Amino acid sequence: MSKKARAICIDDFMARQLAERTDILECAWHKRQEEGGEEEDEDHQKPIVDQAQLDAEADAEDARMRARRVKTFSTSDGWATRERAPNEFEHISRWRALTVYLTWVVLIMFAYVREFLRNWGIETSHIKVELDKQKQFTPLFDDFAAVYQRNCYVRVRDVFERPIGSVPGATVNLLDRYTDDGGWTFKMKGTQSSVINVGSYNYLGFAQNEGPCADTSAAIINQEGLANCSTVHENGRSHSQARLETLVAEFLGVEDSICFSMGFATNSMNAPCLVDKHSLIISDQYNHASLILGCRLSGASTKVFKHNDMKSLEKLLRDAIAYGNPKTYRPYRKILIIVEGIYSMEGSISNLPGIIELKKKYGAYLYLDEAHSIGAMGRSGRGCVEYWDCDPKDVDILMGTFTKSFGAAGGYIAGSKRVIDHLRVASPTGYYSGPMAPPIAEQIFTSMSIIMGRDGTNDGQKRVERLARNSRYFRLRLKQMGYIVYGSDDSPVVPVLIYYPTVCGFYGRQMLARGIGVVVVSFPATDMTEARVRICVSAAHTKEQLDTVLDAMREVGKESWCSSFSRHKHLYENLAIEW
Amino acid sequence: MIGTLLGLFGEASTLHLALETTLIGAVVYLYFTRKENKDTRVKLTEKQKDELIAEWVPEPLVPETPQDHPVLNPRYVEGKMTKYAKYDGKEYLNMATSNFLGFVGEKRIEDVAKKTIFKYGVGSCGPRGFYGTVDVHLDLEKELADFFGCEEAVLYSYGFATIASAIPAYAKRGDIVFADKGVNFAIQKGLQASRARVEWFEHNDMDDLERLLKLQEERDKKDPKKAAKVRRFMVVEGLYANTGSICPLPKLMEFKWKYKVRIFIDESFSFGVLGKTGRGGFALSFSPATYPCFEITANLLTIKSGTRFTN
Repeated sequence: MSKKARAICIDDFMARQLAERTDILECAWHKRQEEGGEEEDEDHQKPIVDQAQLDAEADAEDARMRARRVKTFSTSDGWATRERAPNEFEHISRWRALTVYLTWVVLIMFAYVREFLRNWGIETSHIKVELDKQKQFTPLFDDFAAVYQRNCYVRVRDVFERPIGSVPGATVNLLDRYTDDGGWTFKMKGTQSSVINVGSYNYLGFAQNEGPCADTSAAIINQEGLANCSTVHENGRSHSQARLETLVAEFLGVEDSICFSMGFATNSMNAPCLVDKHSLIISDQYNHASLILGCRLSGASTKVFKHNDMKSLEKLLRDAIAYGNPKTYRPYRKILIIVEGIYSMEGSISNLPGIIELKKKYGAYLYLDEAHSIGAMGRSGRGCVEYWDCDPKDVDILMGTFTKSFGAAGGYIAGSKRVIDHLRVASPTGYYSGPMAPPIAEQIFTSMSIIMGRDGTNDGQKRVERLARNSRYFRLRLKQMGYIVYGSDDSPVVPVLIYYPTVCGFYGRQMLARGIGVVVVSFPATDMTEARVRICVSAAHTKEQLDTVLDAMREVGKESWCSSFSRHKHLYENLAIEW
Repeated sequence: MIGTLLGLFGEASTLHLALETTLIGAVVYLYFTRKENKDTRVKLTEKQKDELIAEWVPEPLVPETPQDHPVLNPRYVEGKMTKYAKYDGKEYLNMATSNFLGFVGEKRIEDVAKKTIFKYGVGSCGPRGFYGTVDVHLDLEKELADFFGCEEAVLYSYGFATIASAIPAYAKRGDIVFADKGVNFAIQKGLQASRARVEWFEHNDMDDLERLLKLQEERDKKDPKKAAKVRRFMVVEGLYANTGSICPLPKLMEFKWKYKVRIFIDESFSFGVLGKTGRGGFALSFSPATYPCFEITANLLTIKSGTRFTN
């Protein structure tokens, strides 16, 4: 073999050896810095954790974890030595999944029985019907989704769409309502009851009706009015929105940003400006509906990779570049990877360094949707990019919404000046919809300034820290009780698995009886077998409120057997969890 | 027990046995024959893929935008845009914004808005389903429904999204929508998202629409079973945003009853503008609800008192 060939062989060999030991070469650095980094990478590689492996790990860890005091947050060390928690997705046994399917079968059977009874007039029907003169028209709703809605959803409707009568802060006033006809119509009692609110996306506690944010947003009404009555391109410019865009760009550490008045529309209307039918979009399995709609409207080919699985993503990228577009037999013009920072239904944090590494290696572009993570993650609230210590300039497009952590409405896209200039000119929201209302822009401006510390206090920093403590404390306590909780311990979104759709209604009502308002989700927002209670921890919640919620969860869990699902309860048995 | 089972076999008729055997045979056959991979493309080795990947040069994400584009050099209005607009210290008569009823700057509305901020905060921190429904939303929906003489109303926070999500909610794949060529962008996006078949008719041309409806009727006659499942819709605007013309609603109502087509009317510009009492001049003729979540397809551009204000 020639010298050159031998050299290449050795290079190849060394590269492979290194790759085996460190998974992704450039990411080896974060493994050295933290203990538990290996565990984290493995979990990010294999989100569905092997049961046998977990049991083996559990036995080994038992000895280490017994009688260990866990401080959820250490202020003396600050953030530097904080471990990043891995994503966990514990799965139930197959026979239990079968019982969940059985529940669904029974529900659907009963649904059809009731449809039959209703059609034959045996049961009184409360369904709204067509006008008599329109009975000849093709019925609007006659498919399975309608049957499900009429018979299954309506029975638990009192758990959803609960009207509130106050600001949705740590506690909220719910309007009391009752139903005479099994959920079809609701009548208000006229009273309101205060409950602890763990359902609203109020991560940093900025949903307040007093304080500097409310004052400035009310004050701007005098100067700039409530709305501009025209589109953004035609005279829709307002000083408040321009100031906000500059602040957002500074906050995130990028060149420029553009703000929109609706978060959903930011995703769905701007994806078509970035990609067209000659491009490819690679999106995560659990992406939000707005991203999916944007992908569809853009006309680009779409491929889906397994949730947070870097191997699946790499395989897709390689195949896409090598084989090209199967319809035109030509290479794709560009590839856009769309991921989210925190996934709202899973509570998991995406593996950003891994994705950035792949993106750089293969020349793709990255679109990061930080709807839930902006303000909530990172040591100063700057989102997932800061949490992972990545460079914001590596992410081509940073997108986020203001609904969650800033207590307002709207969305933004931030990136390099070239990208933002193009979006300003080409986005249809500029031509056809209005700008942000000045009070909303002011609310975001003030809350963002507070987070950045520009108001002179350290209120923002305290909020971020409180949220981090709350999330960790809450999650560890839940796992100690025996619940299966998805996702990473650092994320404030806490999906607690209850699996059975029938338990959803039970949970919602029982928690309300105990003075806590929760959100339950089932099919079709989640998988059929994985109904969940999604709790959103907030910086506004005090430890006492969290303890109340936890006690209620313990009681309801015992009654519904949901807190006995986890098989790793023993890992947390002797842990004394401090806030 | 095995004896009784074998006995049962003996008692069963030959036809029964033959049928069962065929069924079991079919199941076994289907289970063991795997579907062949229809992937006819040539399989590349990893090395070949590496070479192709090294050769591939992606296009830049976005093209360059000329820096002198008017959108990148905007002019900001000072203060509110009421009847007059102030730019660079000089006042101009405002004929550019859709402030039809002159509510911008109205003191009563602004006072209520401020009171609302101090009671409910600015955002609702969640969608309607999860503690985002505020009692004022419900009150407004009731008032809208009463104003229009309809059974119910649904509120949306973004004008663009109203019609763009209303159309796909009712018109699915396989349905037919007759749309005017002059409809606005939001409706076009809604039609695209719905994946229904769209038949465009010339702007405000009722003869063209009738021609299309008649063609559809003939197609239905050939296949009445399929026609019974297909839903038909018509999408028009009360006052067209692009051309400023008013749609001939009486003629459209005639077509509705004759050809059994449901109508969507987008009254964003005609609400508050047309008719003696501002109800768009005519009752909305969208078919009433079979569900409580029934909507009026009017996005409230003309009322500026804060429809985009409480999320």
